[in-house]
Amino acid sequence: MEKNLYGLMAEFDTPTQLVDAARKVREAGYTKTDAFSPFPIHEMDEALGIRRSILPYLVFGGGVTGLLLGIGLQVFVHYIDYPLNVGGRPYISIPSFVPAAYELTILLAGFTAVFGMLFLNGLPRPYHPVFNVPRFALATREKFFLVIETADPKFEYDDSKSFMESLNPQEVFDVDE
Amino acid sequence: MADIGNYQAPADLGRLRTLALGIGGIALIAWAVGYFFSPEQALRSWLLGFIFWGGISIGSIGVLILQYLTGGAWGLVIRRTIEAATRTLPLVFLMFLPLAIGVTQLYEWTHLPADDYTVIHRGWYMTPVAWILRSVIYFILFGIMAYLLNNWSAQQDKTDNHEDAAKFLGYATAFSGPTMVIYALIVTFAVVDWVMTLDPHWFSTMFGFLFIAGWALSCFCFSVVILAYLSERSPMNRVLGKRHFHDLGKLMLALVMVWAYFNFSQFLIIWSGNIPEETGYYLTRMKGAWGYIGVALVLFHFAFPYLLLLKRDIKRKAKWLASLGIFILLMRLVDMFYLIAPNPRIDTHGLGQGAFVISWMDFVAPVAVGGIWLWYFFGQLMKRPLVPVMDPFLDSAIEHGKGH
Repeated sequence: MEKNLYGLMAEFDTPTQLVDAARKVREAGYTKTDAFSPFPIHEMDEALGIRRSILPYLVFGGGVTGLLLGIGLQVFVHYIDYPLNVGGRPYISIPSFVPAAYELTILLAGFTAVFGMLFLNGLPRPYHPVFNVPRFALATREKFFLVIETADPKFEYDDSKSFMESLNPQEVFDVDE
Repeated sequence: MADIGNYQAPADLGRLRTLALGIGGIALIAWAVGYFFSPEQALRSWLLGFIFWGGISIGSIGVLILQYLTGGAWGLVIRRTIEAATRTLPLVFLMFLPLAIGVTQLYEWTHLPADDYTVIHRGWYMTPVAWILRSVIYFILFGIMAYLLNNWSAQQDKTDNHEDAAKFLGYATAFSGPTMVIYALIVTFAVVDWVMTLDPHWFSTMFGFLFIAGWALSCFCFSVVILAYLSERSPMNRVLGKRHFHDLGKLMLALVMVWAYFNFSQFLIIWSGNIPEETGYYLTRMKGAWGYIGVALVLFHFAFPYLLLLKRDIKRKAKWLASLGIFILLMRLVDMFYLIAPNPRIDTHGLGQGAFVISWMDFVAPVAVGGIWLWYFFGQLMKRPLVPVMDPFLDSAIEHGKGH
């Protein structure tokens, strides 16, 4: 068996079976797992033990950076680099800085949300081994798939394969790298 | 039809109702004593209570219209609560009567000399009779909105199939579109008359929007408090889920931001324009103790609730969201105080215009109005099932709450 194995894939007919199987897989101690279904399944996060994303905190950080950058930029321009007397107001006039600082807050928070999401998802990703299984194409239509990766510390080909077969799948596939 | 009995309000509301009336009644007597000694201050405090609690009623009309236009599960679960709040309108009108009777004791413009430019310019429009007539018209128009929407909703309950029920939902939705525009116009006219004319020489075109947003925020905070209370009791514990509170929390966050946006816009425009007839408003409010209240509003009416409402967990826990709702409602009261109290007075008692004055009646009057208002509100809430039982979208709205 010289070709590299990415993992094992089990095929299920219904979302309920998938969630039940995912729960058992997690309870058996597997951590490097993934599930694929044609539509979002709310229970899946909890069944596979997927933690909540840190994205909201990144977005908040992006927003705060934008705010500070916006104020900093205007203080630099209006006070340090090129002081200009506008209507006799102080050089640092916070009320007039608010709109631009606010816009930069939104801009950086928005950028962080989009690019942070892509980064955390690992997107864009032109190649993924699961597509080596021909029947995986059905994941976008009517079948439900569960994958345990070989990278999982608990992964042991024969044990894992018989464990997956005990979950009553339609079939268990080897996923080539 | 069969479900109506299952969605009756829990009986403990009756106890709360009596309690509210007791507290409100005692406060009302205290206020009446205050009126005897200082009518101007008493009426100004009464206006504070009227604008705060009446604002929940009128804000509820706006939110009721809004939820018919947008649809969504949040609208279905709060519909009966805000409908009950809109049905307090007759009581709100009664609470307006002291202001109508005492208009010459409360508003400085009734005492301006005849050669004052605002008197010359505004002419008959700014006379007590015209002012009272306009207010009556506002109440009639608000009343028509509240009556029709409540009536269709009640008729919907009496239907026995979803097709007939959808017909009444259709009426309410079609009515809500154009009415939203009229609502925004009447609120603007009403608060200009009731609040802005306290300072007859100052004006702001933003003023109506401060109240449209602020009252809607009051309405949401109030509904969340009521729903959090109901969600621990049958029947609403079978209806309300985490996700409903999550949605309502998001709307609270949005309105906290809109409130800040409108207030800051008004400030920025006046600050940039820097012309004498406008800046006086903020000069008064940025001096001394008024200034501290202004800073407190920025911090506790905006920054603090804003940051807390960003957190998902706070929006999903009914108790936390309701606690924050009560906090925002208190800040709403402070905001109304900040808008009403610093305005020029007829009799300044030698303190000079714009001096910091806070009277014991500023606490007593909102409690008096609030106690009686809550008593009436709970009575209305108990009259109808707590959810629109025949609404075609009810099942999916309940299902929505159970999701993640």
